[in-house]
Amino acid sequence: MTDQRETIEQIVLTRVMRLNASIHGVVFGLLAGIGLFVATNWLILKGGPIGPEGDEVIGPNLFLLSQFFIGYEMTFIGSLIGFAYAFVTGFIVGFLIATVYNWIVDMREKQFQQSRQRS
Amino acid sequence: MQQQRDSEKQVVIVGGGPSGLTAAYELITKHQIRPVVFEKLDKVGGIARTENYKGYYFDMGGHRFFTKSTEVNRFWQEVMGDDFLRRPRLSRIFYNNKFFHYPLKPFNALMGLGIFESFAIGSSYLRWQLFPYRNEETFEQWVTNRFGKRLFETFFKTYTEKVWGISTSELKAEWAAQRIKNLDLKSALISMFIKPNTKITTLIEEFDYPRRGPGMLWTIVKEKVEKMGGAVELNSDVVGIRREGNRITSVDVRCNGHRQTVPGTDFISSMPVTEFIKYLDPPPPKPVLDAAHHLKYRDFLTVCLVVNRDDLFPDNWIYIHDPRVQVGRIQNFKNWSPDMVPDLSKTSLGLEYFCNEGDELWTMADEDLVELGRQEIDRIGLANYDDVEDGVVFRVPKSYPVYDSEYRRHLATLREYIDSLQNFQTIGRNGLHRYNNQDHAMLTGMLAVRNMMLGEENNLWVVNAEQEYHEEIREKIDGEPQQVTEVVREVLSHVFTRLDPVAFGSSSGLVGGLILFAATMILVLKGGPVVGPHLELLSNFFVGYSVSLSGSLIGLVYGFLSGFLLGWFFAFLRNTSMFLHMALVQRRFELNALRNIFDYI
Repeated sequence: MTDQRETIEQIVLTRVMRLNASIHGVVFGLLAGIGLFVATNWLILKGGPIGPEGDEVIGPNLFLLSQFFIGYEMTFIGSLIGFAYAFVTGFIVGFLIATVYNWIVDMREKQFQQSRQRS
Repeated sequence: MQQQRDSEKQVVIVGGGPSGLTAAYELITKHQIRPVVFEKLDKVGGIARTENYKGYYFDMGGHRFFTKSTEVNRFWQEVMGDDFLRRPRLSRIFYNNKFFHYPLKPFNALMGLGIFESFAIGSSYLRWQLFPYRNEETFEQWVTNRFGKRLFETFFKTYTEKVWGISTSELKAEWAAQRIKNLDLKSALISMFIKPNTKITTLIEEFDYPRRGPGMLWTIVKEKVEKMGGAVELNSDVVGIRREGNRITSVDVRCNGHRQTVPGTDFISSMPVTEFIKYLDPPPPKPVLDAAHHLKYRDFLTVCLVVNRDDLFPDNWIYIHDPRVQVGRIQNFKNWSPDMVPDLSKTSLGLEYFCNEGDELWTMADEDLVELGRQEIDRIGLANYDDVEDGVVFRVPKSYPVYDSEYRRHLATLREYIDSLQNFQTIGRNGLHRYNNQDHAMLTGMLAVRNMMLGEENNLWVVNAEQEYHEEIREKIDGEPQQVTEVVREVLSHVFTRLDPVAFGSSSGLVGGLILFAATMILVLKGGPVVGPHLELLSNFFVGYSVSLSGSLIGLVYGFLSGFLLGWFFAFLRNTSMFLHMALVQRRFELNALRNIFDYI
């Protein structure tokens, strides 16, 4: 009976992982959202040099993201908006990666099994 | 109807050892079947019996009582009650005039062996970790792959060959793998997530033991079986087994010079399987007889000494690796239980000599063996020659089935023949030619009874105490009962499977390319005096890329390629790290478990 069961060694070496797209999306979203939230607030707390117009210039490079994330700015409210945008973007990226990955793996396994049956 | 049929059963059990008596007890207590047990010696217990000499009890082989099987544990508690003692365990290795901790402690072992030897052992260990034997056919290869050749030759070879009398290159690796269970990857991975069973860990440091040795337990079982109407006939040697076709009809029993034929409807035997085949009448086909002839056993004798000292050493037993003496193991029975000696001012020792029936040691006169024991115990400094005031010798034939290079083939032949017999089951260590412990032997007795009475189809040839333990614990998952092992296997298969690098690279590349394409297009559509000056910086890395319509397509390609490389490399690193991590976990788990290796030799 024991001989016929797949050993854990066989499982580990031959089976391929499937990714849960929702979880993947949430993880990517959280990483991106928290990353942008922390980065924004870090720069706010750090402060910046005084610009030509007399006001503090904070995170000019990170602020470029406002070209994609409308409403995002280098303020606390802005960091919350950034969190939301980054979470959604990250979720979409993670979800897409996992979905496409699963689809490709299914396709490859099908091809592999077909070639095994033929041989 | 079933009750009537059951009551017509006449069950004959050959062998009054742990497996035979357990089967008898199960039959009578659970199924009200009154069996007859034939035991050839003058006491029960078989190779787990306890001998008595002038009030000193000697456990033949030393049997600690611990098991992972709930059923076996329940059996012991039910029978023994308060006569079960919890005893501390201490055993050491005596080698090169020094004591080494056992279970092995690496630092203690290396320091005891010396700096130069430690360095040589360490180097050898590394060499064999990097370039192990690809196929582990022999015990020597199995141990070398785990400990290195140098440590194997220094520590393990001498003792193992003392025990088995054959070269370690002849002893099959399978025997070690079977004796030393739970060293597979699954067990190692489980250990990462599940806290070690405290009870089992504790039992390595202490164990249960009947006050007067295992013989006390088996004597009580015998009395209970007899009280309930069964029969346990001592000094009754089964010397013939009659069959008609593939049914056993009766056994011939010789007792006190008389021979009688005892019929039966069902037969359970724990006698050595080679003897069973030999006694069959009419005999089985020649290939079966030849196969039985080729199976081998290792025997041992115990030189029991009474020493006029109250305290010699604190160990329950000591492994003697010293090649200057023939003794393999020394038991201090007073340390197993104080009730094993009638006089606490004295100590009883059991010097175990591993040998083969009929060889020089086996045929030596008892007084010469006692003299040998006295000299050897004095030579290694554990007791003084003059303090030994009495001695006796007990011989235990067929103690250990030998797993040499041919045994598997021969056992398969016997197994095929025996499985064809309709009303016969073989159980126990020697009945199955399987080197397992007392709890396993008992389990085979229990399962044989279930096969007989409940129509179960337990395969006794592959039963082990671990399997039974898992089978007793049922988990309900989604309303369907599942074995713990299956649940664990399923969980582990999700946690430790590999990421497909090509698929992950492709999906990362696709998404990466789309992101860069979308970002470029957004900026192009947004327009402005200078379009996407910062994103344009990517052209330093992506030659030909620009923030324009055509550039977005070029960016799609570059994004895909970069994403693919990153994703593929991520998956590759993840898989490699996972495999390395699992290999390390398994190796660490193995080494930890193998600290007890001499318990299994």
